[in-house]
Amino acid sequence: MDELKVGVFLSTCGNQLSKILDFDALMDFAKKIRSVVIVAKSSEYWRGEGLRTITETIRAGKINRVVVAESLPKLSEVNIVQAIEDAGLNPSLVEILDLKDHCAIPHKSTPSEAVAKAKAMILAAVEHVKLLEPVEKAEFYAVKSVLVIGGGIAGMQAAEDLADLGFAVNLVEKASFLGGLAARAGRFFPTDDCAICIQSPSSDVKTITHTSRKCVYRSGFTEIPNMKIYTNSRVTKVDGVPGNYKVTIEKKPRYVNEAKCVQCDLCTAVCPVEVPDEYNAKLNKRKAIYINVPSVYPPAYVIDDAACKFYDCAKCVQICPTGAVELNQQPEKIRINVGGIIVATGFQEYDPYVIKEYHYGDYPDVITNLQLARMIDSFGPTKGAVIRPSTKEPAKRIVMVQCVGSRDRRWNPWCSSICCMISLKHAILIKTAQPDIDITICYIDVRTTGREHEYYYEKARDLGIKFVKGRPTEILHDPEVNMLVVDVEDAILGKLLEIEADLVVLAPSLVPAEGARELSKILGIELDDDGFFKEYNAKLRPTETKMRGIFLSGGATFPKDAPTTSLHAHSAALKVSKFLSTGKIVKDKRIAIVKEEYCGDCEFCPVTCPYGAISLVQKDDEHFVAQVSDILCEGCGVCVGTCPVNAIELVNSRPDQMLVQMNALMSVKGTSKPLILAICCSECGHAAVDSCGMAMMEYPANVRVMKVPCTGILQVHQILEAFKVGAEGVMVVGCKTDGCHYEVGSEKAKRKVELTKILLREYGIEPERLEMINLVYIEGDKFAEAAKTMTEKLEKLGPLQLMKSL
Amino acid sequence: MAGMEKEELTNLQFSKEIKEHMGGETITSCYQCGTCASSCPVAKITERFNPRNVIRLALLGDRKKVLLGDAIWLCSSCYNCQERCPQEVEITDIIYVLRNISMKEGNMPNIYSEFAAGLLKEGRIVPMSKFLEKKRSDIGLPPLKPADVYSLRKILAATGFDKILQRKEEKVSL
Repeated sequence: MDELKVGVFLSTCGNQLSKILDFDALMDFAKKIRSVVIVAKSSEYWRGEGLRTITETIRAGKINRVVVAESLPKLSEVNIVQAIEDAGLNPSLVEILDLKDHCAIPHKSTPSEAVAKAKAMILAAVEHVKLLEPVEKAEFYAVKSVLVIGGGIAGMQAAEDLADLGFAVNLVEKASFLGGLAARAGRFFPTDDCAICIQSPSSDVKTITHTSRKCVYRSGFTEIPNMKIYTNSRVTKVDGVPGNYKVTIEKKPRYVNEAKCVQCDLCTAVCPVEVPDEYNAKLNKRKAIYINVPSVYPPAYVIDDAACKFYDCAKCVQICPTGAVELNQQPEKIRINVGGIIVATGFQEYDPYVIKEYHYGDYPDVITNLQLARMIDSFGPTKGAVIRPSTKEPAKRIVMVQCVGSRDRRWNPWCSSICCMISLKHAILIKTAQPDIDITICYIDVRTTGREHEYYYEKARDLGIKFVKGRPTEILHDPEVNMLVVDVEDAILGKLLEIEADLVVLAPSLVPAEGARELSKILGIELDDDGFFKEYNAKLRPTETKMRGIFLSGGATFPKDAPTTSLHAHSAALKVSKFLSTGKIVKDKRIAIVKEEYCGDCEFCPVTCPYGAISLVQKDDEHFVAQVSDILCEGCGVCVGTCPVNAIELVNSRPDQMLVQMNALMSVKGTSKPLILAICCSECGHAAVDSCGMAMMEYPANVRVMKVPCTGILQVHQILEAFKVGAEGVMVVGCKTDGCHYEVGSEKAKRKVELTKILLREYGIEPERLEMINLVYIEGDKFAEAAKTMTEKLEKLGPLQLMKSL
Repeated sequence: MAGMEKEELTNLQFSKEIKEHMGGETITSCYQCGTCASSCPVAKITERFNPRNVIRLALLGDRKKVLLGDAIWLCSSCYNCQERCPQEVEITDIIYVLRNISMKEGNMPNIYSEFAAGLLKEGRIVPMSKFLEKKRSDIGLPPLKPADVYSLRKILAATGFDKILQRKEEKVSL
């Protein structure tokens, strides 16, 4: 290895720091540190002339390690690191410290103490940079092809976007036809247009205008050249890593040759088997060979293999004029290779059968919103007539019940968010067509938060639809006159009502699609407490999951209306495109390294890793060792904090690298106050200390700050080590436990701090000398407050009596 | 809310007080959907009792109206409302809490104080009568032994029950 030559560059931040810090003393101090060959001072180093000085020194071969003291490190770091990389030095060999916001400003009233702290900071940075090792960048191959799971609007929209952008798209739909739940809704609010109307893909030359909008079946969607559509199919296995997944799709046989079927409908006429029609929410019956509606994709019939008698009957085979029915079709296993995956599995209606007091399933005239939607649809089982299923007569008095199973802690505590609008849509459609129908909507709160949604509510009231604020306790049935009675309190009047009805329409809560849990296991991604797919961060990373390469679109994350679903789908498509467009994934190799000779058979790190990056592999006949995936590892070090035998280390955050910093920070005291080491995570913890200085808040200079990637990396003995090297108090500063940038790190650190406190007590050290605080960036005031309180507390406790056992 | 004092409308202390009692913890979950009222067999026959209204007044902090009114004493404790409440508000239990608070302050309908007085006097809520004794012997049951009034009084004194009764008597005599 080359001789270490460290260059130290101290910025005076436009001379404002020279008023507080004695730069001559600092430079003299820095010059005396071993391996330091150059010490320089300038008004700024993160741009312009100053930055050129650094790069020229590197280019001249005078230095091979760089320490820069500059303000706003998080802003200036990008510039400095980039310039240094351009100058030919590995960017990991740079240490940037902030003498302004971490030293001069917060300690401006005690300049001599500030100088001592600055010396300690410079020493720590130099000692640390000497131990850093170059980190290379790793490049991973990314397949420019995408898997979209779910063929409703969320999946179709994302698939269309990606196909337009030139990606090879594989769209997998578990049902026999595309369209999903939305297609069954008939019409959409608030525009009242057809549910099957979508934007045409730009590859459709005939419709390539700004206004192009067409039904799914004539949109050209299914003819996009780089799109492959698998209906009747499920994803059963996913292996591989982001950018390169091996996916197994199981395709059930259709038993009808898509290329031959001409939709003549002769087969359904001869089919003797009748089963409830799932597509129409079981309002009617269909044959074993069927098509949902004439305008679907693929435009071919399908045989329901659970109902069909196959060769015992085969009447459809005989009558088919084109020989399209092929009863000997076999299930297929299709293996594809994709770079990214979009989950667009949507949501479904909750089965209100479990809510016994509403008697869904007992009384035929109690139906759900989806059933009503199928009735209103002119393609539906009643050809658009709203009837009572018990008598098939028109319904004259309709009561709609909102929040059935929603906002209900016994079933689904969330608000399903779109049911109010769905019911308003139905009521308006019915009332507009037949003003004499009496409609009452029983609600808890009417939630119409979207654009133009409130006008919809207004319209409903103008049309004479009645609204009762009250959640019915029960739906009763009078068998003599075949009438339903809804037992509800008008909570505004405080009056009990018994509303007579021919038809009661429930608005069931909207829940994750069936199979979501199974799919989450196949993909290795998380669900939230309600069972929906979990977005990485609702504000910053919507449509992303914790796994690079897997994205979410539409109702799979929560019930959404069509406009929001479209937006969500566009977002997911954009994220996939950003991820795969260059055909490679570049990532630095600052990852966890397993020391195989110490690692043995425990499962702590694979279980703890928030990214599923660690697996156990067989080493020999008896032993397993941990193996870190370099593409999945995010470099947080939570595994390091978990390992009971110190067999795993994080590159450039090794214990020895941390120890030299601790030592250095404690070596220059220069204050009468007890020294405190604040171990901050590199995210919110360190940023909170930044914000403290930016906001000109003061705290005593005996508080010295050390940065770690995540507080989750800390081990008990490291915290104890801090006391050993001279700290009289230790503050661990991490993100909020529910806002940890590495998911679990803050929580783990909290527990470790508690554990260390117990140990401290054993050693005869007051546990109050150790404290964990959880902050966000804007809570600099809380950091200053905690620093002051800790100092006062330590002054009261007196000097640390360190037992020899430590 | 006619008849409510301005400061009472903002009295959040009352719901806090209720939450501190066992059974009262869930009161703030109520979102006034009225399922309880339409489930209530008492509300069906009289407008003097509406469980939703009781909870509403308690949440708004109208302590006087809740504790001195007769509504809380009209609940039949059938638990229908509690079974059906979508927010799992323990309505019946909250009404018990309200009764207890009210009683500690010396408010209770006469029928309750009469029961209580009987308990202290004879050790029974329902006093024994010739009729009941005959009924027992008709079905072959032995005559009831007199209750252990001495022990009972000791227990009731230890729990402060007698003091609650005293407070009620003082209020009546005023």
